Formats: sequence, C-alpha cells, structure tokens
Amino acid sequence: MTTTPVRDRGSGSGPGRGSAASGPSQSPGPVRSGSGPRRQGPGAFPWVISAAIAVAVLGTALSLNGVLRGWAWYLPVATTVIVVALALAALRWIGAKTLVVSAGAMAALILILTFTFFRQRSFFGLIPTSETMEELRRLIRRASDTVLSESAPVAPNAGIVLVTCASLGLIVILVDALAVPLSMPATSGLGLLAVLVVPATIKPQSVGLAGFLATGAGYAMILAACQWFAPDSHAQSGLPRGTGHLRRTAITGALALAIAVFLPLAIPGFDRGTFPQGSRLNPWGASNGLNPMITLGNSLRNPTNEGRIVYTSSSSRPVYLRSVTIDRFDGESWSPDDRNSTRRVGPARITPGYGITGEVTRDITSVDSGQFSSPYLPVPFAPESVTGLSGQWTWDPATLSIKSDSSTSRNQQYIVFSTAPKITAASLLQAVQAPVGVPDEFKQVPANVPDIVRRTATTVAAGTTNPYGRALAIQRYLRSPDFSYSLQAPVQGGYDGNGMSVLADFLEQKSGYCVHFASAMAVLARLEGIPSRIAVGFAPGRMTGDAVALAGQGSFQEYEVDARDAHAWPELYFEGLGWVPFEPTPSRGVVPDYATEQSDAGNLSTNLDPNVLLPTAPATGPAVSPLPAPAAAAGGEGANSSPLTFLYGALAVVAAVLVALSPRLVRSGVRARRLQQRSSPGEDRNARRGFLRRRRYQGPPANAPELAWAELQDLATDYGVPPSASETPRRFSARLRGSSALGEPEGIDDAGHAAVESLTWDFERHRFGRPLRQGAQPAADRIAAVRASLQGNARWLKRMRAEWLPPSVTSRWGHIAGWPFRLVGRSVAGATRATGRGLRRTGQLLLRLGRR
Amino acid sequence: MESKRNSTVDDTPAHRQGFSAVPASGTGLNGHKAKVMDPERFHEASERILSAINKVIDGKADAAKLALTVLLAQGHLLVEDVPGVGKTLLAKTLARTIDCTVSRIQFTPDLLPSDVTGVSIYNQSSRLFEFRPGAVFANIVIGDEINRASAKTQSALLECMEEHQVTVDGTSYRLAEPFMVVATQNPIEMEGTYPLPEAQRDRFMARISMGYPDMDSEIEMLETHQAISPLSKVSAVVTAADVAAMIATVQQVYVSQAIKEYTVAIGRATRDSARLRLGASPRSLLQLLRAAKATAALDGRDFVLPDDVITVSESVLAHRIILDRKAASSGDTPQGIIRSIVSGVAVSPDAVPDTRRRESLRHSG
Repeated sequence: MTTTPVRDRGSGSGPGRGSAASGPSQSPGPVRSGSGPRRQGPGAFPWVISAAIAVAVLGTALSLNGVLRGWAWYLPVATTVIVVALALAALRWIGAKTLVVSAGAMAALILILTFTFFRQRSFFGLIPTSETMEELRRLIRRASDTVLSESAPVAPNAGIVLVTCASLGLIVILVDALAVPLSMPATSGLGLLAVLVVPATIKPQSVGLAGFLATGAGYAMILAACQWFAPDSHAQSGLPRGTGHLRRTAITGALALAIAVFLPLAIPGFDRGTFPQGSRLNPWGASNGLNPMITLGNSLRNPTNEGRIVYTSSSSRPVYLRSVTIDRFDGESWSPDDRNSTRRVGPARITPGYGITGEVTRDITSVDSGQFSSPYLPVPFAPESVTGLSGQWTWDPATLSIKSDSSTSRNQQYIVFSTAPKITAASLLQAVQAPVGVPDEFKQVPANVPDIVRRTATTVAAGTTNPYGRALAIQRYLRSPDFSYSLQAPVQGGYDGNGMSVLADFLEQKSGYCVHFASAMAVLARLEGIPSRIAVGFAPGRMTGDAVALAGQGSFQEYEVDARDAHAWPELYFEGLGWVPFEPTPSRGVVPDYATEQSDAGNLSTNLDPNVLLPTAPATGPAVSPLPAPAAAAGGEGANSSPLTFLYGALAVVAAVLVALSPRLVRSGVRARRLQQRSSPGEDRNARRGFLRRRRYQGPPANAPELAWAELQDLATDYGVPPSASETPRRFSARLRGSSALGEPEGIDDAGHAAVESLTWDFERHRFGRPLRQGAQPAADRIAAVRASLQGNARWLKRMRAEWLPPSVTSRWGHIAGWPFRLVGRSVAGATRATGRGLRRTGQLLLRLGRR
Repeated sequence: MESKRNSTVDDTPAHRQGFSAVPASGTGLNGHKAKVMDPERFHEASERILSAINKVIDGKADAAKLALTVLLAQGHLLVEDVPGVGKTLLAKTLARTIDCTVSRIQFTPDLLPSDVTGVSIYNQSSRLFEFRPGAVFANIVIGDEINRASAKTQSALLECMEEHQVTVDGTSYRLAEPFMVVATQNPIEMEGTYPLPEAQRDRFMARISMGYPDMDSEIEMLETHQAISPLSKVSAVVTAADVAAMIATVQQVYVSQAIKEYTVAIGRATRDSARLRLGASPRSLLQLLRAAKATAALDGRDFVLPDDVITVSESVLAHRIILDRKAASSGDTPQGIIRSIVSGVAVSPDAVPDTRRRESLRHSG
C-alpha cells in the first residue's frame, strides 16, 4: 500500500498529533484499523510516568534549599510528592477516568497533608475536621507572616512547609494533567518552571546547579516516558533515528545554549544579585506595613514613597517614630517578640516598666498614619498615652510597643503624649550602676554568637571604663570610615536579612544598612553588658511646609515620612535613664547630642534636609490648619491588606489555570472515553483485574459506532461544522465533507474523507441496520485521521479554539448555564401570551356588551 | 395510434399467458412464491431497468427511479403533469422493460366500471356465465387521464388498486402479482373532468410530476425521437418473476425502531402543522415506509436510512395533504411544506439530547 500523504506543518506536539507525521515504513493505509500492539492498556506506563513526575518535582524542590533553611523540610515534601504520584499511578493503572485520576490525586494530597500536619487534630489522623481547618488557618497565617516578614532563607516552620508541600503536590497533579490526559508533555515543564521561579527570584545565587540539573533530568524523564509510551511514536519500533533528528537536536540545543549564555550579557541586571538587580520581587505588594527588619530593607530600596505618614510634634528634637523593638537575638532569625501574655489593653495610659530619675521632657505629637498599614503603631518614644485610635490596641510594658491584632495602623489619626528623660553626656557618664530595672531578656547574650562578633566586641571596647564609653566606642566603630552604608551590598553578598550569621557577614564585609548597623550595635552592647534592643520605625522625616496647631502648645511644623525613611536603631539601657537611642548607621538619622563625642560634634553626618535638624525653626507655614480631630476618622478601618492575600492569589492562579485548561481537559477526556479501546480478544487482561472491571468485556463496546459518531460530530462542531438535529447522518457527513473544514476529497485529506465516510457507514449500520452481534471496528484511528485533516485545514486561530476552547464543550456549558434564563424567558413568554389572551377576551366581552 | 380502450400492448403477445385470472380462493401470488434476491442481482436488475427507461426518456432519471421504487414497493403511481412531457411514455417504458402483462386504459367520461374490471358474459356454447377479465387484469395497468372518467369508473379501479382483487357478480378474482397502476393526470385541462377526491388520491403511493426536460435532454430527444418511436427499441430486461423476487427483497429490508419513530414523527408533524388542513394519514405513513424500503434496496442497502424516508417523502406525502387556506393563498406548495416539515423533524431525538442548541447554533451560524 502507499504511504499516507504527509502534511508538513509541524504544529502540535505530543502523541495526539504524531500520527500525521509518518515514517516511510509505517502507516499502511489511510485508515488504519485494528489495534497495534501498544493499545493494550496501561501496563507500566502509569508507574513510569508518575515516577518521572515525582523525580522531576522532587528535583525541582532541591532548588528551594536556600529559600527554606536547611533540609528538614525536604522529608515532608518528599512524602507528599511521592504519595500523590503513587495515587496518580495507582488510579491510572486500575483504569480510572481522567478526571477521577486527578480528583483522586487531589484527595490523596489532602489526606497526606492532613496526616503530616494535622495528625492530632483530625479524625483518625487522616480525615480533616473543623478543628483541622482552624489549625490550617493558623498555619497559613503563620506561613504568610513568614513570607511577609522574613528573608530567605526562612526557617522551615510548619506553616511554610505546609504551603510548600501543598504547592508541590498541586504541581505534581498539574504536571501529570498536562503530560498525560492533555498529551502535552512538553508543556508540563511549565509546572516545574513555576517552582523554579521561586528560588530564581528569591535566592541571590538563583536556582543553583543541583536544582537545575535535577529539574532538567526529571523533565527529560517525563518527556522520555511520554514519548516511549505514546500511542504512535516510532520510538518503540527500534528504527534508527535519521540524521535529521540529530541535526535538529543539535541546532536547537546550540541555539538555546547560545541564548542562555549571551543574552544576559546584553541585558543589564541579570549577572548580579537577584532580579531585578538587588531588589526582591514583592508581588504581593502592600507590605509597607514595616514588618520588621526585612521589609525594612525592601522599603528602603523601594523608590516609591508608599506609606506616607505625617506628624507634627512639639518636641524640640528630631522625632523618631518607633513601631516595634526586637530584643531576642537567639534563634535563626530575629523577629519582634510580641509578649502577648503580658500586653495590656488600652494605650490611653502607658507606664514604662522601669524607673527614671531626673528631668524629663514631655511632648505632644499628632500622627496621621495615612496608608501606612502595620499591626504596630508608630509613635515617638516613650509614649505615655495615645488617644484617638480606632480599634483595639494593646501595649507591652517592657518595650512600649503598641500593637493591635484586629486593626492596623492604616488611616489612624492619633495624638501621642510622650516623655523622654533629658539625657546628656554627663548624665550618661554617671549611669554606671548595673542595670536592674529591665528584664533579663534584654541582657541575655545568645549562645550562638560567632567568634568574629565576640572578637570585635573585645577590640572595640578595649580601653573603655564605663557603659557610656563602651556604647560610644561601639557607635564610633560602626560609624568609622571602614563601614559603608549600602542597600545593595548585603543583597549581593547574600547576607541580607538578620540573625547572627548575617551579623558575622556584616562585620566582615563592613557594608550594610541600618538593620545591620543597629543589630551590630545591639549585640555588641549586650556582649559588653549593656542591655540593648533594636528599635524599628522611621527616621526623622522632611517638613511638608504646613504648620499644624497642637492643642495648647501652639503651631508646629508638620513632617512627613514614608517607606524610604524606614529605619532601625539600637536602644541601650542605662540605669536611671531608661532606654537611650543611639545612631550607629552612617548617613542616616540624627546622632543625638549625648551620643556625639566632642571631637566630631560638628560632624553630624546626615543625608537629611538640613532644616530637619532645626525642627524648631520658626517657619510659620502659610496655612495653619487645625489639628484634625482624631475621633472623626475613627471609622476608617480601611482595606486591611490581609496577609492571606498572596495565598488566595496563588490559589486563584491555580484555579484560573485549571479553568483555562478545563475545556480541553474535558474534551480530551470525553474523547478518550468514547474511543476507549478494549483489550484485543487474545489477551486476557480482565482475568487479572476482573474484580475491578466488572462491566468491561472483550472487544469494543456495543455502542462504539454511536460513540465514534458522537465524537465525529463534536469534532465537526469544534471545527465549525455543527450538526443539526434534523440532519440525517448521511447529510451531515456529506456537509462535513463538502465544507472546507475537511479539505479536498482527493490527495492529502483522502484519509480524512475516507474515515468520515466509513464512520458514517458504521453509525448508520449500527443505528438503522439490523442489530449485529459481532463487535464494531475500532474507531480511534479513523477519528485520528479526521482530526488530522481538520487540523490541517483549519487556520491556526480556529485550530487553537478547537483545541483549547472546543465549541462542543463550551456551548454545552453555555447551554447549561443559560438554563435559568431560558426558563425565565419561557415563563415570561407564557405569561405574556396568557395576558394577551385575557385582554383579547375582555375586549371581546366589552365589545359585545357595547353592542347590546 | 392506440385504441381507445382496453387495448393491450401488442408487441408482446408471447407473454400473454402470464396473465391469468386466478380466483380469490387460490393460493395467491400468481403461483410462484418469490424468493429473496441477493444484493448483487438486485442491483444489477434494477440497473438494467433504469438504464432501459433512461434510454427512452431523456433526463428523467429521478422520475424513472421513483417509478421503479413504487413498483418495488407494491404501490401505485400517479403521474401528474401538463400534456406532452412523457407521462404515458414513462408508464409504458416501465411496463415494457419488464417481461409482464401490461394493459392500458384510456379513461373517458363514458368508460364503464365493467370495462375496467371485466364482465360475466353468457357463453352460448357452454351455457354458462363466463368471466371476461377487464383491462385491470395485468401486471402493470396504465390508466391514462384518469381524471376524465366518471367517479364510478374511477372507484372501480381504485378498489382493484387497494384490494388487488376484482369482485364481479359475487366472485372475487385475484389480480396478478406484481400489480401496479400507473395513472396519469392532466392538471391543466380541467374541463369535463372528475378530479380524484382526496380519499382516492390517498391510494396512490406516490405522485410525481415529470417536469420539462433540461435543454440538452430536450435537444437529444428531438434528435433521437424524430424517426422512430424509441419505445419500439425497448425490450424486456427482467422477468415478472424477477420483479416478484425484487419485491420480496424489498419486503425484507430492515426497518429499525429509530426509522419507525422518525416516520411517525414526520406524520405527526404534518398533522400538527398550522399550514395544513389535512395531514398525512396512517396509510400514507405505511406507504412512505414501504417506498423508503424500496429506495433503500435500490441503493443497495438492507436497512432503511432516514435519508430514504426523506427522499421519497415529497412524492409520497405531497398529494395527500390539503393546504390551509392561508398557506395556499400565500403561495405555499404542498411539496414545499412537506420539505420544510421534514427538515424540522429531529432525526434521532434520543441520540441528540441537545437538539435545541444545535438548532440554534445552526440558525445563528
């Protein structure tokens, strides 16, 4: 027999399309009948493809090391991925339908996640209960806190590992759905890519070689498995590949390599640091909430002025707005300790937990927090009372941080009365008593202090006699020319973030920004016996030019700060004086008088507008606006940027992908079901799994021609030749063949035409002819031939629509969706008719009456 | 040229012995029990008949095929058209291609029923009443201008058509099988005619109108028919036994449930149609199905397709329905209405659950 005409239009990949391209020694005729040796059911395929997917996803997960710290998280991830992959393989092996396979894998994912994370809080350790959901919510909140507040590598807490496991499990299902039922193994790489994007954007060293190699290997395995088991690949025939294959492979590979190597050279920003250069992608946005330490670096690097806060203070010194403090320096990563147990409600009256001797100054500050959104309230230190807040706020006696669990600082207008001891160098010099007024936790030196930190402390403090001297020495050391202020250096050096190891790196590199300087000073101070903590907030801002009248205090300049002013500074405790702020960061903030040594008193280095230093400048602004009544704005809870947003976003993306895929998924599932090939009579597969396949029997099903016909009709619908109800099969097939969709009857589309004809005949015979006892011809080959012809003759747009949004599926959905409307329409029409009849009858009656 | 009444076709006297008046008490079916033909032979025979007809009548293959269909479906054919388009020629050719008895009746107002059915005559020698069969005792009866005869005569013929038997003086005589009446009718010249009432038209399985031939055919006709009657060249290509076997084959054609449902659906649709005063009768549906079976057989199939039903639906149904006044005055033809009704009936309602969608798709597209 002759060879099939080959349509050289290399679109489409995967086994579905492969039939059009035939080698010289195969495809005996236009319509191949009979089942080849590989149509024998799943065999090893489910296991192999699942193994390949599991390897690929697990390999990809390797690259997450560095996003998550250590390797402890890998075990649950591996368990999840393997369980889901096994579920996929098992379901496919027993011959479950496409959607059932995916749904079953989903169920397996939920079970294993429940088992791993909520064993205590679920039914039998497997079945999720309402308690599980509560715990889940807690873990997700924790994960989102981690994402928002921590820097990579983050500690693998239960929340983030749960999210990771769930995502990777979903990726397994997605990759599987793409590779197997949708027959697009090449596209399944997208799922793996989605995982790789995370380390690529977060880790400074990007994906890493191991992760990349493992991903590539897994991907290659998926491709190989799909190719090997594809229904009509010629890989199995053992034919030697032509040189064309090899050449194409070589060219493609070389081209990809060349692009990968040379393109980054041409584009700036690829070769160093994370992408885009030096700034982390922060797709969730809205994290101007100054969640301590990490977002701080991002805020500083952020060129926009988000989270603008305006304030007016009666203070004569530059005002630092302080949100929160960090005082625990052990652990992998430093974060504020909320001390929820000791917090007190009602910031209207705040008392510090320590005594102050000597003079204090009292100031009033009014703050309008605008769009700045954070659970912590920025206030000047040390607040005595805060009024005008909306929502429930609590304060911590130890740190005086004001926090709310229910509301945020967004759109708050409040007035803060603050006190500060009058601190002078002289009073500091006298504060030599051992600190007793503070809890031990501020004195504790963590156990894991690196050597370089200890060495530095010893060196720096050498020759000093009192705590004040030591503090000054540390500040001087950090402000020395050896240290440079840089927002980018920590990112590029890989020590952006916080923690002891970061500190060590910083002391080596001697370049960083306020977080590093502040934490260095705090830790060094503790090593020298001075209680310390890191305050996070805003450096003094710029004048807006307006003047605001403060109740009973006269008119003062209004200042504004925004994300770029985010700052961290150390506070050191001196007995009798309380917590005293220092400013070790060069070129940021304002060095207080007491922290200035006489020698460089005039050398207040600052990057601020000079007049900031003169806050009492008699600038009577043109518009002295009265202070906005704080209570008036109390209603503004504002759009609380939920920390769960990003999770919902991710879920929405997955859902959107599934929705976008679902017409095709449904379509190919329907097709596969219709064309399901039963085993050839000679092979006894049923005996093996008879208990699972009671309703299966030898040979194609009795209604195979009907199913094939339905498939043909749907194919035609997809390609713009929908059947009509009053059309006989023969007329429909004549119309299909006559339309341009199937091409010319002679030549290249001969097979398609012949297949349509033969399918029509089969269907007619089945439907209208005498009932036949023997089985029908398998239709898959003929359907494939028709499909190839239809695809070949359709323009790409039509082909895309037919493949991705097949009208046969979408219009059916539309029909279902339109049902309520039709119902309403029908009833309205009925009512109209009835009304019309009634009116007519009334009219006739009236006429008749009139005539009388 | 031809005698006015009861003139049997004179070319084939040798076969007249096939004609016999069998008493109704006989075994029926003319003695030979017809055997089913195998498909090849059936096809071959039908091809022979059709090509013979087409040789005589140029460009009327459809009419010829329909005539053969009616013959094989054991129906009767009404050919209705203006004079001179070959109505009679078609009937005669069909009769001539089959080796069977043919009689022709030219209907006139003074034709009596006994001329059609036959009459008992007193035989002087045997001193018995002897039945002299009328013109209807033939395999194919050509009734020319049937609307010219009186109603009484028409109904005498129509009784024979329905019953396939003749009753004279209390004795029933079985007619030969196959038996087919091909009547012609002239719709133009209505002066002094007795148009067939609906009830009688219903007995004809199909009505066809010949229509004018197309240009080429007409030219060819002028060429070939100049000197001699083309009829003279026609000789029988199948025997009556063959035809009986073909009829038996047609009877064996399988009709699926779906086709029955489809046929009934068409019938009901005609009855429900607002444009029709009278829809298709159950008998007409039976005849529709029989004609469809014959069509299927002629197409070489042993089962009926909806296409077969559709193919014959116009010819079978159009002459039985009566148009509503409004429809008639708005210019609808029965054929057109049947066509539109058939095109609106779902072919297989159970197989296509979403008919409305497809309909709407089609209409919108």
